[in-house]
Amino acid sequence: MRKRTFQNAILIGCGAILLALWTIPIAWAVLTSLKDEKEVLAYPPTVIFEATLKNFHAVLFGPTNIVANLTSSVIIALAATALTIVIAVPAAYAFARLRLRAKRPLGFYVLATQLVPPIGLIIPYFLILNRIGWMDSYKGLVLVYMTFSLPFAIWLLVSYFEDIPREMEEAALLDRASRWQAFWHVVLPQVRGAIAVTVIFVFLNAWNEFLFAVVLGGANVKPVTVSMYNYINTEQTQWAQLAAAALIAMLPVIVLGLLAQKHIVSGLTAGAVKGVGRR
Amino acid sequence: MKGEVRLDGVGKSFGDVAVLKDVNLQINPGEFFSLLGPSGSGKTTTLRIIAGLETATEGTVLLDGRDATLLPPGDRDVAMVFQSYALYPHMSVFDNIAFPLKMIRTPAGEIDATVREAAARVRIGHLLARRPGQLSGGQQQRCALARAIVRKPALFLLDEPLSNLDAKLRVETRVELKRLQRSLGVTAVYVTHDQEEAMSLSDRMAIFMDGRIVQIGAPEEVFSRPATVEVAAFLGNPPMNVLPASVAEGRVTLGDAAIEFPTLRALGSREIVLGIRPSEVQLDEEGLPATVTLCEVLGEEVIVDLDLGGQLLRVKCPGRTRIAEGERVHARIDPAKVHVFDRATGGRIGT
Repeated sequence: MRKRTFQNAILIGCGAILLALWTIPIAWAVLTSLKDEKEVLAYPPTVIFEATLKNFHAVLFGPTNIVANLTSSVIIALAATALTIVIAVPAAYAFARLRLRAKRPLGFYVLATQLVPPIGLIIPYFLILNRIGWMDSYKGLVLVYMTFSLPFAIWLLVSYFEDIPREMEEAALLDRASRWQAFWHVVLPQVRGAIAVTVIFVFLNAWNEFLFAVVLGGANVKPVTVSMYNYINTEQTQWAQLAAAALIAMLPVIVLGLLAQKHIVSGLTAGAVKGVGRR
Repeated sequence: MKGEVRLDGVGKSFGDVAVLKDVNLQINPGEFFSLLGPSGSGKTTTLRIIAGLETATEGTVLLDGRDATLLPPGDRDVAMVFQSYALYPHMSVFDNIAFPLKMIRTPAGEIDATVREAAARVRIGHLLARRPGQLSGGQQQRCALARAIVRKPALFLLDEPLSNLDAKLRVETRVELKRLQRSLGVTAVYVTHDQEEAMSLSDRMAIFMDGRIVQIGAPEEVFSRPATVEVAAFLGNPPMNVLPASVAEGRVTLGDAAIEFPTLRALGSREIVLGIRPSEVQLDEEGLPATVTLCEVLGEEVIVDLDLGGQLLRVKCPGRTRIAEGERVHARIDPAKVHVFDRATGGRIGT
């Protein structure tokens, strides 16, 4: 009994350390965003201070506000996510169901895109986008993001589609469903959780991306990750405003995570076929 | 009456591998017809060809006299119960059963009544709001049955529907299944590797071996007159003893023993296989000398393994038989009850 309590204490301790590692920077950012710029640099750091919302006001309504950048980020992330899903879902279904020779090369291609350090691709992408006149445009950035998100999304979804027994679709076909109806009514509802997971990954990647955005974007298309950099310049760093901007940029991510949580969990616990499939 | 199936020279190959060869059969309307055979013998493939889930690479499939070889599954007016049940896990039991009706655009008011009627028939009327995952194996099986009968198809295909149930439930469901088929008056094609199931359910059955049909007939006919050694060795529990022997002048040599079989005089002199049902052998004072090697007491009966001149002969004795392993006994074989097969072709000789 005593041993059990001791083990639990260790587990709780480890949990607390991990949680602290994750929450302290965020708590720090929250505190910083509520401070006056001068207060931020006070040493030792103050924990009790007069909170102010003026940083948020400046970031949202001031002369150097990030609203346009937030809009850009939303457009890019939504477009990249939507296009990726629209293409990846049927592609993954095809890969899972058809006997294709390209199955193995696809696996390698997916892995390869994750192995290449992104910085190595910046110059080629720059040259290509420049050549076709897509620099500093939404379509350019969305296209570049999709080169990463699409293979990843297909690879993620294929395993989910493969888990759905073929017999289920065959049953639907015998029940007079068309191929499309079988897909729509029987297959797709069962991969909802997987699609939710994919949406989150793709959206987050696009939303948080900085490197490509800073090089391939410009005056027209400047996502919020890049614009935050404006608060750091040669004369001074406006830490408080930077923290406020960062917190605002975090919001959609958190909301999305909470919304999708239910789907992710239910996606993982679904399944009602008993026994093994056809030999 | 609808629900007639005819297969004419149907074959199926995957690349170079022929899994089905020259299958011919005729299933009559309202009949309960089983496809029986060991796993990999082609019975499930045959069922899937009837369903339209596989396309025959040779021959024709006729449903109610209409060429259906290339017809898609949805246009065949067939319903199927899968071994895995293939219920839609994200839909309630009600929606599972309603699915075929929705696909043929049945008016909503009609759907409700029809679904309830089908569910009541298989006694799951109280479970309509549940998800398949919340049902027991037997209830899932009933749900799959209800989904199959709800549209009142002409032909009802069942692919080992009882194999995921426990032994007791399997026997109960078997009886209900037959009752259901009779009351619906529908043709049923039933795939199984369980001979007892096939025997108890079928009006007629086809025995599959190695991608071919080796025998078609009523259960008692197939049981009492197996067409080949393979069928003989497949049917019965325990199956028939098949012992290589040779016959000359009405005298059969079986290992180092010899028996007079006056009935086999007409065969002249040739190599044969003797088929002897375990229940047709008597342990007696006289007969072929043998040694008991194993004794299985099953309550109603005792299965005794005998060493008969180096060959295994299994005998089914009454439950009260008391016999010890290693004991010397005599096995009496009634010549009139012996099945004779040709050693080279495996085919049945005589009656």
